[in-house]
Amino acid sequence: MDFGYTPEQENLRREVQQFIAENVTDDVLGELETAEEGGRGVHYRELISKVAERNWIGISWPKEYGGQGGSRIEQYIVEEEFARVGVAVGGAGSGAPAILAAGTEEQKQEFIPGMINGEIIFALGFTEPQAGADLAGLQCRAVRDGDEYVINGQKMYTSAAHYATHIYLMARTDPDAPRHRGISIFLVPMDTPGITVRPLWTIQSDPPAPLGTTYGMARTNETFFEDVRVPASMMLGEENAGWYVGAMGLNLDRVGASRYLISVRRDEDIVNWVKENDFGGHSPADDPAVRDKLAELWTEAQVCRLMTMRSMSLVERGGNFTYEGSAEKVWAPEHGVHTTETITQILGPYATLLSSSEEAIDDGVFAHNVMGAFQSGINHGSVQVMRDQMARRGLGMPRG
Amino acid sequence: MDILPSEEEQLLKNAAREFLEAEVSTALVREMELDENGYPPALWQQMADLGWLGLAIPEQYGGQALPLTYMGLVMEELGRVLAPVPLHSTMVAALTVAESGSEEQKRDLLPAVCSGSMVMTWAVIERDPRLIPSAIVQQAQPDGDGWILNGEKMFVDNFNVARSCLVAVRTAPPSDDNEGISLFIIDPNGVGVSQTPLVTIAKDKQSRVTFNNVRVTSADLVGELHNGWPIVERMLERATALLCCQMLGATRKDADMAIEYAKNRVAFGRPIAAFQSIQHMCADMILFTDGVQLLTYEALWKMDQGLSAGVEVSQAKAFANEKCEAVVRQSQVIHGGIGFMMEFDLHLWLRRVSAWTMRLGTTFDHRARIASALLDNPGKVRLGLPLPV
Repeated sequence: MDFGYTPEQENLRREVQQFIAENVTDDVLGELETAEEGGRGVHYRELISKVAERNWIGISWPKEYGGQGGSRIEQYIVEEEFARVGVAVGGAGSGAPAILAAGTEEQKQEFIPGMINGEIIFALGFTEPQAGADLAGLQCRAVRDGDEYVINGQKMYTSAAHYATHIYLMARTDPDAPRHRGISIFLVPMDTPGITVRPLWTIQSDPPAPLGTTYGMARTNETFFEDVRVPASMMLGEENAGWYVGAMGLNLDRVGASRYLISVRRDEDIVNWVKENDFGGHSPADDPAVRDKLAELWTEAQVCRLMTMRSMSLVERGGNFTYEGSAEKVWAPEHGVHTTETITQILGPYATLLSSSEEAIDDGVFAHNVMGAFQSGINHGSVQVMRDQMARRGLGMPRG
Repeated sequence: MDILPSEEEQLLKNAAREFLEAEVSTALVREMELDENGYPPALWQQMADLGWLGLAIPEQYGGQALPLTYMGLVMEELGRVLAPVPLHSTMVAALTVAESGSEEQKRDLLPAVCSGSMVMTWAVIERDPRLIPSAIVQQAQPDGDGWILNGEKMFVDNFNVARSCLVAVRTAPPSDDNEGISLFIIDPNGVGVSQTPLVTIAKDKQSRVTFNNVRVTSADLVGELHNGWPIVERMLERATALLCCQMLGATRKDADMAIEYAKNRVAFGRPIAAFQSIQHMCADMILFTDGVQLLTYEALWKMDQGLSAGVEVSQAKAFANEKCEAVVRQSQVIHGGIGFMMEFDLHLWLRRVSAWTMRLGTTFDHRARIASALLDNPGKVRLGLPLPV
């Protein structure tokens, strides 16, 4: 067991921090703030190319597809430092692990290098109006027609669809097979004729939450597919094996720096706020009940961090998860909610003030988290679904 | 950064589990609850022969000088089977002597610990059970070239079988220089020392110890006069971390038993493990137990690196107090009525894990320590970095 970083890794962290201080400018942040293009404007692209020059992108990804073939821990360090300023680098949460594991050689060549440098962005097209937690009930159809598939259906909460270049689409290819065995995944370019994206505005949108402070975004979408034709070569994995390809890819994508940071940053924020501020001379940091609660939350947050480090250690050793990814996806979001609940009761009415209010504390971050903290317990598999998976995959318990 | 056990660590853990599962049955645990000494000397000797008693003791005194983490792994496995042996109290005292004792004290005690002929313990707690210097009021009065001890200690582990005991007493009022606490080695069978057994829910061997004009000399003093508190504090940190290991092992086993039971117990025409209410309880039991494991080994690792680990130890114990208790209660719920029957073994784990949540610092105590580190020094905090001091 080694809970520390090597001197080289500590140096890397300092270098990245230095780089961020010099290069993540207000221009970049402003671009991300407006986010209508997902923040991928000229300044973001310039930043990413500088990051790429340092060989900090795709550190743990295979060399033949543009990665560095290096350590997941080092990639984590880079991801963590950038996630702390609200900038995503290096394809974290991109869906790339599934392509690396199940894709054809052509697909890997076509997508991975672009995913690493941020030129190719995938939206996630899994959920449907009638298929959320029960994803295997999805109805979007893909019908073979010569060398193509013709796709018809509707996907919900396709968060990046308005700026993504592609969508990672789950569709039913065999309606007669058992539910889990008739599903395939397609890598579909978003500019294919027949795709329509309609915005859905979340409760985080008015006014928008401060940059990088919530897992969810102000905008998500519903995406419609009407006679969308996709070459058969864009199927990921085998026909009707999509359920298993998707489950594995999602599992690997659940872990990483940004997922865990979003659930623990408010712990740091509230501790730092009560240390440096008071309400007209009354400091919540002097209240024994508040102190006890903050210590409890800090401890829970450590468990979030350590669960992430456990996943990183497993990946670094080349292992796969049985239940560890799901465990992280229960613990971190629920912790985020505990923290938010406590913060509201420490700050009282000041925790109601949103970002556009002049009196808001820390740009309204705590108020926005009243809504945002719950979101990360719902998206990418709810905490209840995650507990089902822990029980079934991790503990070998039977289906009900 | 690789927080999974190394190959060597895993080998030791596997070996410990294999040995203990073969040697320690629940029948033995029950037998030792009734035994006057509370442990089987033959098993203790076997553990000495395996080198476990000297695992973390320096080589020149017969030990293997391995990191505390290794001791923790063994302690975890002992907890798993509820091994009725006085290892925790012996290691807590022996490692303190190894760290802070005089050369003579080390030569006197440590080889005997390694060879299995010396059970040790420690006595700090008094009427006010908090582990803070002001709760130590028992005084040692100077007497010629020595001191005279009177007063009482509570909750002394394995005192009935110990051949040596570390006692923290007050030799001066607290001052700017020190807390006025001194640590002495006493002979539990010496003149003026007596003990009354305490009957605990764990049915372990704890005592109230009474000192009636017990004489100690400077040869018995561990560390500096009046300045024993930092030694006691480190002793308590190690004791707490190793207790967390024991709690972890016992809690993990308790959860395993509930999961196994749920797969076999049929109700409403199916195994109850098929019900989501049961599945989600079991998932939570794993989350809680994993959390204890991660926090505990990070604390041990920090100690092994010579880094300050007070906050990490308190995090582990505060979390373990609540979560281990929650796991063993949920296990009882899953087992239903049978779990409350004396003839069924589950209560052996429930009673011990519960008792351990009450030892070496309550949840409130440990959180107060964490809060103080978190809030009382200026400077920003960041998770994963040391707190400002």
